[in-house]
Amino acid sequence: MEQVATSPGQHGGHEDHGTGTGLSNAKLAIWLFLSSECLLFGALISTYLLYRDRSQGISADDVYNIPFTSATSFILLMSSLTMVLALAAIQRGDERRLKIWLIATALFGMTFVGGQIFEFTEFVREGLKIETNLFGSSFYLLTGLHGLHVTAGIVWLLSLWGLASQGRLTQRDSEKVEVAGLYWHFVDVVWIVIFTVVYLIPR
Amino acid sequence: MSESDTSTQPVQDPDQDMLVGSPAERAAEKTYGLSEIPPEELPLLPGELTAHPSPVQYVIIAMILVVVTAVEVGVSYLEGDIPDGLIIVLLLGMGLFKFVVVASYYMHLKTDRPLFRRLFIMGGVAAVTLYAIVLTTLHFWSNTG
Repeated sequence: MEQVATSPGQHGGHEDHGTGTGLSNAKLAIWLFLSSECLLFGALISTYLLYRDRSQGISADDVYNIPFTSATSFILLMSSLTMVLALAAIQRGDERRLKIWLIATALFGMTFVGGQIFEFTEFVREGLKIETNLFGSSFYLLTGLHGLHVTAGIVWLLSLWGLASQGRLTQRDSEKVEVAGLYWHFVDVVWIVIFTVVYLIPR
Repeated sequence: MSESDTSTQPVQDPDQDMLVGSPAERAAEKTYGLSEIPPEELPLLPGELTAHPSPVQYVIIAMILVVVTAVEVGVSYLEGDIPDGLIIVLLLGMGLFKFVVVASYYMHLKTDRPLFRRLFIMGGVAAVTLYAIVLTTLHFWSNTG
């Protein structure tokens, strides 16, 4: 029979969230939220695919800078590594490394968003604005909404880092870091799809 | 003040009993890094069935993801040298591989309760099915073909 951590004694004193499913409300809620987010990003990716080649004027081939976007993708991938290392640190009661990995993840995220702002600025300079054509509208909507998700994740990470700095995030709060991590990794997997489908696949 | 009530007793930290690993492992952890306490000794998080990967395994997974990303970018530059259809299949395959690896190991779907995995797959399959129908209805495939 499977052993599942559902009681405080089994998971090292984390707060027990007694539910009908025997699962914590926070974790169940984040998974339901992420599941619904699949539909949101699916809609935006489909819209982009539909309008990409049906636009007049400037197109993806004219503006995309694959080496630059590859570099920002690498940064986001590394942020997922630092995020899981933050979780590993708090599970081991290592609050010093928890703070280091949390702030590293937030900094990687900020670098990614900074790169995205730079990319958008370059595209606008080359003549692709959100109102230019359907390609521009669908591209900015998709990547911009993803950037907003990354920004929300950064705020979440910084708030966790603030709590950790005040000593208010200890080993018994591991689940809080795990839930934030699930959101952060989801943002990463969505970017994996966007990077492949939007940037790399030939038009 | 009498000597009996001076604080010669060590202060009891209520969290000490909760700390994972042996005192020696904790000391090594502090000095050398995050892999001195085996994941199996860590308390399970809510909904977790088996232990998460160790930090070293996380780093190895990240290296694999970086290599696959580099190959993906390289393949995208083969446009014109090999058929576009092959490029699309290769890129989608590598993208799917990265997606599954991150979801399985970093999001711990491999070691957590199957319910979470089912929820996520349900969302993903619903999205792919729904938008495949939408794209088909709007003649996306015939236009790209």
